[in-house]
Amino acid sequence: MFYAGLGTFAVAALLMLVSLGITIRQLLRKQTEISTVVRRLTNLVFGLHTLSILILLYMLVKQDYANAYVVGVINPAMPTYLKVTALWGGQAGSLFFWSWIINLCMVVALNRRHILQDNWSYLFALLNLIFFSGISLFVENPFRQVWQLADASLSESLFSPAVGAQVYAGLIGFGLNPLLRHWGMIIHPPILYIGFGAFMLPFAEALGHLVIKGNGEDLIARLRPWLLIAWIFLTAGIALGSWWSYDVLGWGGYWAWDPVETSSLLPWLISTGLLHSMFLQQKRAIFKRINLVLILLSYLLIIFSILMTRAGLLSSVHAFGESAISRPLMIFLIVFCALSLGLIIWRWKKLDSGWEFKSYFSRDALFLYTLVLLGAIALVCLWGLLYPLASTAFGGMEITLDRGYYDRSVTPLFMLLVFLMAVCPLVGWSLGSLKKLGKKALIPTIISVAGTAAAYIRVSRSWVALLSIFIVLLGLAVLVTQTVSELRGSGQPLMRFWQMRSRYGAYLVHAGILLIVLGIVGVEGLSQNIQGTMIPGDKMPLDNYLVEFVELQERYDNPEYLSVRAQINLWRDDKIVAQLEPGQDIYENRGQYVSIPGKRSTLAGDFYTLMLGYDLTMGYVVIQATLNPLVNFMWLGGIFLCLGAAFSLSSPVVREQALRRSDEDLDETEERESDAA
Amino acid sequence: MKKKANIKLILGGVVIALALVYLLISATRSNTQYFMTVQELQEQQSELQGQKLRMSGAVIGESIQYNPETLDLSFTVAQIPGDHRLIEQMGGMAKVLAEAVADPDAARMTIHYTGVKPDLLKDEAQAIVTGTLDENGVFQASELLMKCPSRYESALPEQAGD
Repeated sequence: MFYAGLGTFAVAALLMLVSLGITIRQLLRKQTEISTVVRRLTNLVFGLHTLSILILLYMLVKQDYANAYVVGVINPAMPTYLKVTALWGGQAGSLFFWSWIINLCMVVALNRRHILQDNWSYLFALLNLIFFSGISLFVENPFRQVWQLADASLSESLFSPAVGAQVYAGLIGFGLNPLLRHWGMIIHPPILYIGFGAFMLPFAEALGHLVIKGNGEDLIARLRPWLLIAWIFLTAGIALGSWWSYDVLGWGGYWAWDPVETSSLLPWLISTGLLHSMFLQQKRAIFKRINLVLILLSYLLIIFSILMTRAGLLSSVHAFGESAISRPLMIFLIVFCALSLGLIIWRWKKLDSGWEFKSYFSRDALFLYTLVLLGAIALVCLWGLLYPLASTAFGGMEITLDRGYYDRSVTPLFMLLVFLMAVCPLVGWSLGSLKKLGKKALIPTIISVAGTAAAYIRVSRSWVALLSIFIVLLGLAVLVTQTVSELRGSGQPLMRFWQMRSRYGAYLVHAGILLIVLGIVGVEGLSQNIQGTMIPGDKMPLDNYLVEFVELQERYDNPEYLSVRAQINLWRDDKIVAQLEPGQDIYENRGQYVSIPGKRSTLAGDFYTLMLGYDLTMGYVVIQATLNPLVNFMWLGGIFLCLGAAFSLSSPVVREQALRRSDEDLDETEERESDAA
Repeated sequence: MKKKANIKLILGGVVIALALVYLLISATRSNTQYFMTVQELQEQQSELQGQKLRMSGAVIGESIQYNPETLDLSFTVAQIPGDHRLIEQMGGMAKVLAEAVADPDAARMTIHYTGVKPDLLKDEAQAIVTGTLDENGVFQASELLMKCPSRYESALPEQAGD
């Protein structure tokens, strides 16, 4: 198995180099279109790479303990699905998996024949693949074996490290880190990786486009589906991670501004900006420079994010620990940054779209503000990430920024952004014509003012929470009234809704953001919690609820860990509404435990309990109970984001063009009207 | 027309840039945490009082005192170096922690915390604490983070989450 796995991977890597050689030779001969040989080779490379991954999977599932990676992440008691996920549970395996995802994206793109069809673009994509495959082959090889030396000591390497050494299969590992043992582990990493990998395609295509002196004209039309797909996967990956940490890891938190979380947010912010500026290029052929910069930046930030996660530069729950890959990765990042910057500067003049900034309140300006705000949030996050590193490098002392930094700097920017988003449909389409604006804004304003007043009386007095609720209600009401009035104007509302799905998809995404804000308001502004030491029979009040501790149970559901569960009755109005079982799974031989929350979930909110500690001999438990109103709107919002973007994606660009004309005429007339007024 | 447009753009840009810089500076100023070792903290005790600090040290098992009724927790930590590379050179975290606890001359500091005692708080664990230093030289922690390096695992592939 070892030879089969390593062998297929090595041959795949060798064939990548052959492709590279052919591509370079063709470029030297000024042939731009990718050759059939290279196409076939790429497919073959992907086949071998896949085979190699399958062999590693087989070794994981069959517990081949002669393999050092298997020893690190597998143990016999783990269920099969976790053994499969162990493929991306450790450093070497996940890097291998990541190189395979890049390969997958390349093959799909090449065979779909929309992008990556010229030698330059292909070359840049191939360089990415070769780099990460090289890392897997030479630095973090997942096929390394465990060897027993003549003096009975163990070491790990691919081939025999010394004379007399023998492959040793007697080492049995502790298995996957307990924190990763959840079905979130099945989907969160692959989805995030696909999102990351899919951004590589527009990146390579854009670089190729710059080299062959493209003027940015048709680039966006070709890249749009890929950018949307990448964005959907990235969004889903981040949302799933957030949900996982809330649901399982027992932190009770959905977002902790952990360096890894923050660094995955950077490409999201930039690509979200890209989705907006891309829209303007499609409609008006402007913002070409900005679009190219954002495409390149999205992927460069993804590499930066990978560097943050894997190089062990920062302390984080996600970190893989110190690693030898940090230096090559850093060089790779710097080279591609320099290349991108150089190409952009070189082609700057040619990409001019002749756009002028005319008014602070034109529709273009509103899009520009969106970009500026997203960019500002990204900058704030970047500063927060780099500050500890910079302070160590320059002051010698490590200074970190805590959560308060992000709360204080991101909150106002984000609220401004959401406000802009909420009112844009009103302002952007008919600015200046106050009468019309007033008419459109009337119903949403009434709804949001009434809703906020109700919230003031019944729920909260915090002005941040109230302002957020106001913005959310306003935004949702604007979206709904706008949609209704647009659709009613046309003869066949359903038909128009379907034809205009690129627009209504965007509306759904915006509604999703508003729902997420609602969820955040619930958790940050309205949640209540209580903590107490309890003995059986004790009751603890929270809001309208009573938490009753019944008894403590210890059991072995699984030979690997001891499950301790606190039986809790949740009372409301003298009735038991739920029985909860918060507890801990204790992995005694690792000296580690995982908190398992017990919760009751409804759309109105979650009643979330954690067992923070316990003592069997003295018979007490420490329970923390939290009421998180509205939190589930956050996950609902995440679903809206992905579905909305997918809805937009389903709209073919070609057909849209015909529609666009009539739509634009409409807008133009409105704009003229507003100018006149 | 073109000139006027540019002035508008530049004006807007400058206003936004200034606002952002102000936001960054004010948020940074009020939320910095110094990450220090026990020794550094003791040497600069007077200057650092009231500052938000983060410190890492080796837990001395026999010093742990805990009252489950009041949730009062106190323990002592011993000096370990702050530099990852230095720790690697000295033979890894587990070894460094064990030596720090055994060394009576190592700088030590008492930590006080109100809350549940973490299960991982035990002899030779690495404690990362966040909080402030009070006038008696006791570290008043608002946050505790425990790490137990496993000797076995360090020789094998690292995992996410460790």
